[in-house]
Amino acid sequence: MTALELPTTLDAALGRPGELRAGGTDLTERRRLDLSRGTVIDLRDVPGLDAITWREGQLHLGALVTLAAVAAHPDVRARYPAVAATAAAVATPQIRARATVGGNLLQHVRCWYYRRPGADCLKSGGSGCPARSGDHLFHACFDLGPCVAPHPSSLATALLAYEVRVEVAGDREHTLASLYGDGSDARRHHMLPPGALLTGVLLGPPLAGEQAAYVRATSRARAEWPLVEVVVRLAVAAGRIDTARVTVGGVANLPLRLAAVEALLVGKPAHEATLAAAAAVAAEGAKPLTHTAYKLDLLRGAVLDALERALAHTPTAATPAKTPEPSPDKPATAEPT
Amino acid sequence: MSPPISRRGILRGTLGGGTVLVGESCAPKIVGERAEAPSLPAVGDAGPASHALEFTVNGAARSITVDPERTALELVRRDLGLTGCKEACGHGACGACSVLLDDVPVAACLLPAVALHRRKLVTVEGLAPAGELHPVQRAFMAEDALQCGFCTPGFVVAASAFYTRWRAEHGDAEPDRDTVAAALAGNLCRCAAYDGIIRAVQKASSGAYEKPPGPEPAPPRYDARDKVTGAAKYTVDVQLPGQLEGKILRSPHAHARVRKVDWSKALALPGVFGAVDLLHGGTTLRFVGQEIAAIAAIDARTAEAALAAIELDLEVLPPLVGMDAARAPGAAPVYPTRNTRKSAPNASEGPLLPLGWDGNVRGPFQLFSTAKLKARRAVARLREAPAEGVLVEGTYKTQVQCHTALEPHACVARWTDDDAVTVHLSTQGVHAVAEDIAERWGLRRDRVRVLAPYVGGGFGAKVTLQLECVAAVELARITARPVRVVLERREELTTGGLRPAQEIELAVATDRDGYLQGVTARAFADAGCSVGSTSTVLMRLMYAKAPKDIADWDVVNHAPPGKPFRGPGGPPVFWALEQAVDIAAERLELDPILLRKRFDPNPARNHLYDWALSLKTWRERQPAQSDRGRFRRGMGLAVGGWFYFVQPSARVQIDAGPDGIVASTACQDIGNGTRTVIAATVAAVLGLAPADIKVEIGDSSLVPGPTSGGSRTTASLVPAATMAAEQLRDELLERAEQLVGARGVAVPGGVRHPRGVVTWQQLLAGSPPLRFVGTRKRDKGGYFLPPMADIAPGRYVAGSLQIIEVEVDTRLGKIRVLRSHTGIAAGHIVAPALARSQALGGVIQGIGYALYEERRLDPNTGALLTGGLEDYRIPGIGDIGELDVHFVEDGYERVNGRSVGLAELVTLAPAAAIGNAVAHATGFRPRELPLRPDRVLQGLRG
Repeated sequence: MTALELPTTLDAALGRPGELRAGGTDLTERRRLDLSRGTVIDLRDVPGLDAITWREGQLHLGALVTLAAVAAHPDVRARYPAVAATAAAVATPQIRARATVGGNLLQHVRCWYYRRPGADCLKSGGSGCPARSGDHLFHACFDLGPCVAPHPSSLATALLAYEVRVEVAGDREHTLASLYGDGSDARRHHMLPPGALLTGVLLGPPLAGEQAAYVRATSRARAEWPLVEVVVRLAVAAGRIDTARVTVGGVANLPLRLAAVEALLVGKPAHEATLAAAAAVAAEGAKPLTHTAYKLDLLRGAVLDALERALAHTPTAATPAKTPEPSPDKPATAEPT
Repeated sequence: MSPPISRRGILRGTLGGGTVLVGESCAPKIVGERAEAPSLPAVGDAGPASHALEFTVNGAARSITVDPERTALELVRRDLGLTGCKEACGHGACGACSVLLDDVPVAACLLPAVALHRRKLVTVEGLAPAGELHPVQRAFMAEDALQCGFCTPGFVVAASAFYTRWRAEHGDAEPDRDTVAAALAGNLCRCAAYDGIIRAVQKASSGAYEKPPGPEPAPPRYDARDKVTGAAKYTVDVQLPGQLEGKILRSPHAHARVRKVDWSKALALPGVFGAVDLLHGGTTLRFVGQEIAAIAAIDARTAEAALAAIELDLEVLPPLVGMDAARAPGAAPVYPTRNTRKSAPNASEGPLLPLGWDGNVRGPFQLFSTAKLKARRAVARLREAPAEGVLVEGTYKTQVQCHTALEPHACVARWTDDDAVTVHLSTQGVHAVAEDIAERWGLRRDRVRVLAPYVGGGFGAKVTLQLECVAAVELARITARPVRVVLERREELTTGGLRPAQEIELAVATDRDGYLQGVTARAFADAGCSVGSTSTVLMRLMYAKAPKDIADWDVVNHAPPGKPFRGPGGPPVFWALEQAVDIAAERLELDPILLRKRFDPNPARNHLYDWALSLKTWRERQPAQSDRGRFRRGMGLAVGGWFYFVQPSARVQIDAGPDGIVASTACQDIGNGTRTVIAATVAAVLGLAPADIKVEIGDSSLVPGPTSGGSRTTASLVPAATMAAEQLRDELLERAEQLVGARGVAVPGGVRHPRGVVTWQQLLAGSPPLRFVGTRKRDKGGYFLPPMADIAPGRYVAGSLQIIEVEVDTRLGKIRVLRSHTGIAAGHIVAPALARSQALGGVIQGIGYALYEERRLDPNTGALLTGGLEDYRIPGIGDIGELDVHFVEDGYERVNGRSVGLAELVTLAPAAAIGNAVAHATGFRPRELPLRPDRVLQGLRG
């Protein structure tokens, strides 16, 4: 029926037909739902993918690093607080103990039309999107493509706020933009070719005096998928916002970077009026579905919340011994906006 | 030849006839077929065991070979037999399967078994050395941090890891509530024993429950130790030799006609033993998930493969999903003929009365109106002349809420003879269901045995004989093997039971002084394809003297049927009524409590009004809409009233002799504390400790006990247990007199006589076996109605008063419950710690109903979208705020035992209190549940 492979080297894990398994928190359910068939290539015995290391001023997260480890790592907390906060907000403690960086970035959508027995949607091989014409209360409000399920990776939303290089064995290096494409191919969960293996992500250096925040809008206190989530990074000098990164999730089939919001922040005085004016354009370009117009309001609120919280933070001060001084932020590269 | 499932509700003494029987005719015969020569499968659950694992489990090294698809959960429960690890949601949302992997809690259901290789696994069974307790277990027992116990091992495992980490980092400091909630955010408790759990973990983590020098103290809950150690065996844990696994084939369509069901290919598969029909002669399918047939096979995967091999010839018909579709002009009738209407499942607690049908609308049911015309006139007059009083009109909507107990519906059936069957069943009524089984299969009552030593929650969904039991019993008969049928979470959320959605058009009229002149209500219920909603009867119960024109309608459509759910009809009715009363108070500029006092002659609630008026928090509440910033706080109040039932047949038997005292009854514990109540009652009569009494329940072969539904368990059992215990006491007094030659008096522990004290144990040591059976004598003044087939509605109404403080985040639309204060007037409280826990659990379920829980179907196909505990969101441990309970124990002197039950009472008013609190905080008056962020934002923006 099904086979399980347990390669013991990275090379042996590459180029094989089947689905890769890291922590298994997503795949186990999809196996049960028959959304995944055939061989499982379990990375249990592949060494070297589970470390958080500094590489020339940039932080490398191995693909098999757990979200719990990301959330708890002192350097991540100190230098990439939004990444730590995002990882800490995902799912439950039990899930975070097993879920990995690679698995989180490449997981499949949580759409309630997809994750059920007998799913018949674009992502499960069907011909249409039943959510679009059905119940899409928790779906996209930026309608970027045929599949309207929100992108499931909170970590991707956080990483999009950084210069990130996605290392892939068996394929070229990716940006987050090239990892996910433009959302127009509803059948794909990511753009990696079969047989390739995401081995880690390299986060660009943090900004000097970076202030960051993560906001996850939910109903319950914890353990819930976000209606909207926002990551903000601000660098403030002499009362002015030098650099701003604002990324959002839960609103489109991709994590989005809100260039319009950033444009209204950069170079402006770091005070409430600036934040309010910037947050007001957060939903610019949105195209809500019949039942997701409320997310525009929520998005503006969550962006404002994240901006305020970022500004209120004191810059991260303590530098762990092994942490080198960060280099200045580089100009933005092409990423989904 | 089996008669069809009974549609009788209360008349049978079982609460609720919500069985799923949706056939055209009531053909009694169940059709089944046995596989000719079942062969063992080449591939199955136990299939190609190709991967060798080495690991330690609870300290012992193990080598085991598993098949590649196996999860750690399957390995732990089946291969290792460690059943303290529970499967509840199957996708990592509930934490019932939590285990420690290298000391870190993980969800075993999402953990591939091969991940255990060279790792250290610890389950609840291994947290402490054999016979000892982990401090967290000790704390859970002492703080009564549990009810049904099904989720408890998972909580204990997760909390034990937190305990270790916390104490390493913080020593004896006590963690705050939110820190504990964050650590336990991956565990769900449907009974909602969260407050006790937080307290237990706080105290354990501060070192308060390290190993005591002496013996372990007795916990307030009699069976707590079995529940915190994983020793308690639930139906899902039963594993008999040769046991097969049964799976149910369900309708993929909301509306279809069955032309043919052909299971020949399925029966030919290796490992498949038999199939039975579950359509009962019906030919129309009326909801997605409706049961069609069941298959028994060597294991679950083989049974699932066999289901896929059943050939279904269906004529798919257009569905009507939801009330609007069903009420639309020209909508085709879901039940087109008189006969089909008679086959509609009963969603209610009571018998179905004959009512008229208009298309898909059945009703009105208006038996409980009083001074109907007067009520209508009062409303009409104020419409004409608004200045003459206050008229509050509006439509209030509520959603479908699922019971979704963490132990799903489960049954293991085994025929011990041609005419005798033993049924392990997760049920709220071992006695009643045994009678139903005997009747259905034409067996003598003493040839049917139903066993349920532990039941992982019910909330009304496990009261009657249901199809998981029918399927297991029939499959077991056909295959001559024990057969287990356990619903998966998606099935549980489909047919496991639900509270109907409601639309209530309500008008409340008062005069200018705030005296109630009349109430009119039209309530429309969406119980899917079932009928029988009678929610407005509760409006008769409330503010009893006012004229009322109140009526219910069912709007049938192609959706799963309802079942009675804790306080059936209550939360929707109080959501409407208690908000309308608050609106009237606003208009009259009266304190909402004072207005209710004008409306309300009920003595129980009047005690509670006085209590609430005395509360500082109420007296000093800020004026409405005081906060103008982003976060706005408000306080709301609502009251509730509930019936009081007893089961006159209830008995408690006491057997006493040299081996001790055993109290027994065919009742069961669903988390409500049945063992505790019996032990405490008997012990109190004899002046012993509850632990001195052995309690046997969960077995239909014992003397008849009450069904655990309709808040009747305690009210029925306490008088019976008291009577039996008093008979024993009196007998032993006489024996003492014979023994010592002088009349003594009963004192705690024995009999005092002129020369000293002789203990009960001494008296029993030389005694032949003694047996006494206590009964439930009627109340003074009798009942409100004479007992009908073993259930009697009492003359008294229990009362509750709910105050809830909320904080509304006007930016993100989120409502946070800060504090709740619950007042309860339900007579004498037998087991205070347990009553408190049950009350808070009901309040928290009400919070879930108000804010999160919502069953959603695809509007086009009727398919279930909220099919797991990730999408069907019950409250978590971080959602409860701070809670307190106040019991008013006065009153009910004429009730035998002075207890009237509180399980349902406590869940009626929280949603309405939250609605009133939101309006008090923000001015936004909510009408529709749940209060999701999108609704809050929309309401705030106008």
